[in-house]
Amino acid sequence: MRRVARTLARVGRSAALCCAASLSVVSAARAGVELETRSPSPGEPGAPGLALLARKLLIASERGEQVVDHGVLTLRDGRIESIGPREGAAIPAGYVVVDLGEHWLMPGMIDLHSHIGGSGGDINDMVFQTNEGLRVGPTVVPRNDNLLRCLAAGVTTVLYIPGSGTNIGGQGMLIKTGLDTFEELVLRERGSLKIAQGDNPTRWGYGMGRAMMNYHIRSTVRRGLAYAEQHERDAQARPYDPQFDVFRSLAAHETQISTHTQMYQLVLNTITMLKGEFGLDVYIDHGEWRGFLAAELAQRVGVAAICGPREVDWPGGRNGDPDGRVLSCAGEYQRRGLERIGFNTDAPVVPAEELPLQAAASARHGFDTAAMQAVRGLTIIPALVAGVDHSVGSLEPGKHADIVVLSGDPVDPRSAIERVLIQGREVYTRQSGGRPW
Amino acid sequence: MRSAAWLFALAPLLAGDVFAQEGGGEPPAGGEGDAAGADAPKDEGEWFAVVGGDVYTGTGAVLRGATVLARGGVIREIGHEVEIPEDAKRLDATGLSVYPGLVALNVRGVANRLGAGDYADSFDPYSQNLVLALAAGITTVSEGSVALKLKRGEVKGVVMRERFLSTLGYSTSAPRSKGELDEKFAAAAAYLRRYRDWEEQKKTNKELKEPPARGVDPSIRAILENRTLARFNATTRTDLLGIARLAQKHKFRPVIEGAVEAWTVADELGRAGAYAVVVPRSRRDKSEELVRPGGSSIENAAILHKSGVQVAIQASSTFIDLGGIAGRDILHLPIEAGFAVRGGLPEQAALEGITIVPARILGVDHRVGSLEVGKDCDLILLDGDLLHYQSLVQYTVVDGKLVYEKDKELYYAHIRPRPSTQPADAPEARRDKGEEEVKASDSEGEDKPEDKPEEKPEEKPEEKPSDGASDEG
Repeated sequence: MRRVARTLARVGRSAALCCAASLSVVSAARAGVELETRSPSPGEPGAPGLALLARKLLIASERGEQVVDHGVLTLRDGRIESIGPREGAAIPAGYVVVDLGEHWLMPGMIDLHSHIGGSGGDINDMVFQTNEGLRVGPTVVPRNDNLLRCLAAGVTTVLYIPGSGTNIGGQGMLIKTGLDTFEELVLRERGSLKIAQGDNPTRWGYGMGRAMMNYHIRSTVRRGLAYAEQHERDAQARPYDPQFDVFRSLAAHETQISTHTQMYQLVLNTITMLKGEFGLDVYIDHGEWRGFLAAELAQRVGVAAICGPREVDWPGGRNGDPDGRVLSCAGEYQRRGLERIGFNTDAPVVPAEELPLQAAASARHGFDTAAMQAVRGLTIIPALVAGVDHSVGSLEPGKHADIVVLSGDPVDPRSAIERVLIQGREVYTRQSGGRPW
Repeated sequence: MRSAAWLFALAPLLAGDVFAQEGGGEPPAGGEGDAAGADAPKDEGEWFAVVGGDVYTGTGAVLRGATVLARGGVIREIGHEVEIPEDAKRLDATGLSVYPGLVALNVRGVANRLGAGDYADSFDPYSQNLVLALAAGITTVSEGSVALKLKRGEVKGVVMRERFLSTLGYSTSAPRSKGELDEKFAAAAAYLRRYRDWEEQKKTNKELKEPPARGVDPSIRAILENRTLARFNATTRTDLLGIARLAQKHKFRPVIEGAVEAWTVADELGRAGAYAVVVPRSRRDKSEELVRPGGSSIENAAILHKSGVQVAIQASSTFIDLGGIAGRDILHLPIEAGFAVRGGLPEQAALEGITIVPARILGVDHRVGSLEVGKDCDLILLDGDLLHYQSLVQYTVVDGKLVYEKDKELYYAHIRPRPSTQPADAPEARRDKGEEEVKASDSEGEDKPEDKPEEKPEEKPEEKPSDGASDEG
């Protein structure tokens, strides 16, 4: 009885917060309209092009060249135009040239498990065991403190997702961290369908076990895909249903399922059910705790692993190595043959600015970085996995000019972020005297 | 080429052997307090030499390809032309970086997993946490009010110093106690003046009675007499400023833990001669009610250092976190120091922040915290720069005894194992080089010559002892 009352109270409070959040989005959008009078700086739409000269440029393309030493990158209209060695580079007339000296360039980093796009407390409406119709859109608050800290860490894109209090928390959004208005910052509205296979959802209701949870997931996905098929065939017979409409995007492979999944038995379920049984695009998110035992299967069927924030399995306990070794989760996925491995934070549980540390901790504990895998796991891999690699994730011509200027190796905690551009706009500059990160 | 063979067998870690070294097979006595390496007779004990490493003494000096020689657990010599006695145990440090053992403040569950009060009697010299701490390069910790040497398989001499820090509160959240503390300092200072006068006058007037110490707080008196350090925990600018002013007024050096907003009052803390114990990654939002600077800053350590504050660096969490949240626990102390460097702290100051500065705060800097002649031979050998995220501790030495060897222990052995013979080369290259390349790199000229100007031919493999106990093959 008391639990019901508490749940109802929570629902009421969440609804109130949702309204507040919606209003703040509207007002932020209005403020954005006024901000349009700001004159664009070089590299942005409506301004001259920009050429950045740097010591080292980390391209991080899916295949091909990864690094240019002493290179130049040009951008115009918010997009990257060219990248290559400084020698023989032809910088078009009228471009503003900035020599960044010994600094490095890299693509903006991408965090595929983040809860800090908005007001924060209102993204875990645990009404049903599966809440596939919920969207985080109404909670987005551009330029909130947490998003601004992301900039100081070089993180320019996050998958802002609901919490994992239920098996399906709702739909996440892919957003840019440093832009002023809701309209500007949306990279893809249907960023993912957030599924959580355990263990947080066991807290819902009476505390159901994994068998029941996976029954709920299977049942919901089957009904959702049936809706998608029927609606596509005859929209009159099966009209728009906000609960299931995200499954149209999933069926069309326009979005993915991001699954908070960890431990072997859960990861196995992720792969066999969502990928094997339903053929949907799915990736392991929040990967940790010996889920890597399913690495070979994941590689065979094309499921990627985004790892963190428990990067390292320590000996002992239910999730440690039974042989007593200290193991990097990403390192073990890699050693067992999985190619696509990235990193996430679960911000604010782990601060958003510590995304590169996830890669550093992995590299420290055995994740091989000889071919720049750590940097790739922060950039192009999450972009590919989330299906936004045509826009972000590498320094390649045509992509958004989301560029991080930094003092050295991006994975090294000692390296400081000097400057961040999103779509050519300067959204962060290092200032001494108490900078946050 | 340089032989990188492990030149002697791992110091025996079995209980019987260890106890035999200590006292003829008797069980360990324990609780001997300060009786440790520094107090051992200087002309006795086993010789131990760490040969050919790049020695970062922690005092600012770096000696490439140098030797550290110890006897009875105490450093006797550091340099390039050290004569190594025949019977010395040798540890080949070729291609490795040698640093002082790290000093971790305010840890929990490393030396004393029981949580019982008496550290000397509850120290578990075989615990997993102890070995993991040694694997992380930590050789001295403070738990509660006790500074402890992390000895493996030994309990004698574990407690280095007790109750050197005296914890005080001075916060706006308890305004009345602020006034009371100020009065206590004033009273103790007045008493000390009377006492000194009495000592002076006593020379002529033997009858004069010693001034009564009634009402004088003994811990405050000890602080003013520099027998202990006053420790505060403070976060906000207001509290930090208050402590700085109190310390300036009564002329003592405060140790301030937390110190999140210290960067906003760094000059005042510098004038107070303060020590700050900071977690560089601390995160605190600026109070929205205030217009002045506030909140956390990654530059905190750097700004404090620039203002003359001695900065010690503490990890984000105080224990060994087997939950594995990336890089937050005491096993990642050098990574935490790396974040201070991100904020502008010079690397040397970052090294001092996890070695000599915490040693000073614990009152054990005469024994540990840097590699100097006369200090305890507590050192760590890494496959690269201590502050680089991929460098791992390869060997840990405590009191001139090898207590941890990465490639022979379960925890980290599988991560980037070193070839049994290795070239003197850049750490990055070394990590990826296989056995074949190793055998081919015979010429010193191929190595980074700018980094190895001091290589001495006499440090080469003829030093291999006849017992040949190595891990080759």
